[in-house]
Amino acid sequence: MIVSRLELIDFRNYSEASFDLTEGTTVVLGDNGQGKTNLAEALAYLATLTSFRGAPGDALVRVGTDQGIIRATVRHDDGRESLIEAELRAVGRNRVQVNRQKLQRVRDLLGTVRVTVFSPDDLIIVKGGPGERRRFMDDTLVTLATKYDAIRLEMDRIVKQRNTLLKQAQKAGHRELPTDIEVTLDVWDAKFSEIADQFGYARATLVSRIAPMVQEAYEHLAGVASPIELRYEPEWRRTGLKAALTAARGDDVRRGVSTVGPHRDELDVTINGLPGRTHASQGEQRTLALALRLAGHRLATERIGSAPVLVLDDVLSELDDGRARALLGHLPDGQVVITTASELPPAARADRIIRIAAGTIVPGD
Amino acid sequence: MASTYTPPVQLLIDELGRLPGVGPKSAQRIAFHLLKIPADDVNRLAEAIIDAKKRVRFCERCFNVADSTLCPICNDDARDSSLVCVVEESRDIVALEKTGEFRGRYHVLLGAMSPLEGIGPEDLKIRELVARIEPEGIEEVILCTNPNTEGEVTAMYLARLLKPIGLKVTRIASGLPVGGDLEYADELTLGRALEGRRSVED
Ligand SMILES: Nc1ncnc2c1ncn2[C@@H]1O[C@H](COP(=O)(O)OP(=O)(O)O)[C@@H](O)[C@H]1O
Ligand SMILES: [Mg+2]
Ligand SMILES: [Zn+2]
Repeated sequence: MIVSRLELIDFRNYSEASFDLTEGTTVVLGDNGQGKTNLAEALAYLATLTSFRGAPGDALVRVGTDQGIIRATVRHDDGRESLIEAELRAVGRNRVQVNRQKLQRVRDLLGTVRVTVFSPDDLIIVKGGPGERRRFMDDTLVTLATKYDAIRLEMDRIVKQRNTLLKQAQKAGHRELPTDIEVTLDVWDAKFSEIADQFGYARATLVSRIAPMVQEAYEHLAGVASPIELRYEPEWRRTGLKAALTAARGDDVRRGVSTVGPHRDELDVTINGLPGRTHASQGEQRTLALALRLAGHRLATERIGSAPVLVLDDVLSELDDGRARALLGHLPDGQVVITTASELPPAARADRIIRIAAGTIVPGD
Repeated sequence: MASTYTPPVQLLIDELGRLPGVGPKSAQRIAFHLLKIPADDVNRLAEAIIDAKKRVRFCERCFNVADSTLCPICNDDARDSSLVCVVEESRDIVALEKTGEFRGRYHVLLGAMSPLEGIGPEDLKIRELVARIEPEGIEEVILCTNPNTEGEVTAMYLARLLKPIGLKVTRIASGLPVGGDLEYADELTLGRALEGRRSVED
């Protein structure tokens, strides 16, 4: 699947611009603050319906207007084309159309456009707290199968419901819980476990599949073989969440929050036997983050039998020459969009170069 | 937050904002719409609300909407009283009746368990359901709560309550869109879901 054309209307700093992307590598060249990351964000939005920078929906609409449009022509592997149009409103609900047909639910778009983004912010996957690594696992799962999006949303909802219930129980404040709350907690626990056990299994499978790919990608980028280990072994998975919740109930009620479950898990990433988060150098952390993303991209390509669009946003600003050459000289198959403020090294074979300035395409070449 | 509207307008917005599915933005939009349209139209709407509220009540037995003490379904002696289908809202009965598959009676919970909305089992018509079992000779209860998180949890709660009493408890078969509302399921899907109901394990 490739995005052959991307049109932005009142999206971020673009009032109107349209990009013809090649099926190979398109390089988008522009100084800082001209709209490179905004372009990457628009592509990624079609895949996830959120901003990969974590920006709220109204930030995506050009200041001074109340609606923005991302319009993309997508060519599928079988040659079919679809026209995707996302209307983003500063206030109110967004709308999505596929081939001029409005989707009943915006989230029905998921899975149509598949995109992997790597940006300098991804350093946080290695350097940030456990939530960042959970998000990495879960986002990757969603690119493998969209059902994980619904499962993740449902899990978040269950945790919120359960925490509210725990706060009520906490307030009741007896040593013995009233049976009503006890039984109500039992059923929420049953529902929570049912879905968490599935989700934990999915995460564990994902981690075991990408671990060797991360190792390979890292070695290729860094040019040295540093042993990397990914460990996802939450305690609760040994017994299943049901038993763990039962064991933790006293604690949960006392604190008024759910203390165990997939929402508290950690994915340990070690390099040379030491935790990457606290011991690796900035350069190692950056390479590791990129290796994690590339591994996710490769798994998604292999599982689905077709590569997502790979968007590398401003990677040259952060990688040293050797790593940049290793990355750009051996890009994975499929469509690639690279944004950069400085000319690319010749190792990166650009099939097309688009120059941008202040949200417009600079004519020429 | 300080109010920027004159008190009668703000009061209207506040009241509208308390309706289900109406957020602050929509409440504002509806309020200004009402202020713009002719007084006759507003009166008709107000009267329709007051009239419906006065004349329509809940069936004393099953909590379906009714215009007398019992709803038409509870009044219909041809219905099988040993079989009861439990739903969240009256509108779900309309959806299920359209399938033409179901010959039993109903019980409306008037909601689903949701701590976030402050709804626990004691806020639903569950005690009233249990009270119907003996006198009506109920043998099987079909749990037709919505196929979303809250509906599923409510069904689990009911199953745990009703099975020990010795009732046959079944759950409407999945095949309904997950996260959905019965209201939006089409007749064919619902009909099939009723037929394919399965016993609830815990
Ligand atoms: N909603 C918006 N409306 C108008 N301009 C915006 C909006 N959001 C961001 N911008 C502008 O976009 C520019 C940043 O673009 P970005 O793509 O991040 O730059 P870069 O090319 O360095 O990646 C900034 O100048 C910012 O002011
Ligand atoms: Mg940028
Ligand atoms: Zn009735």
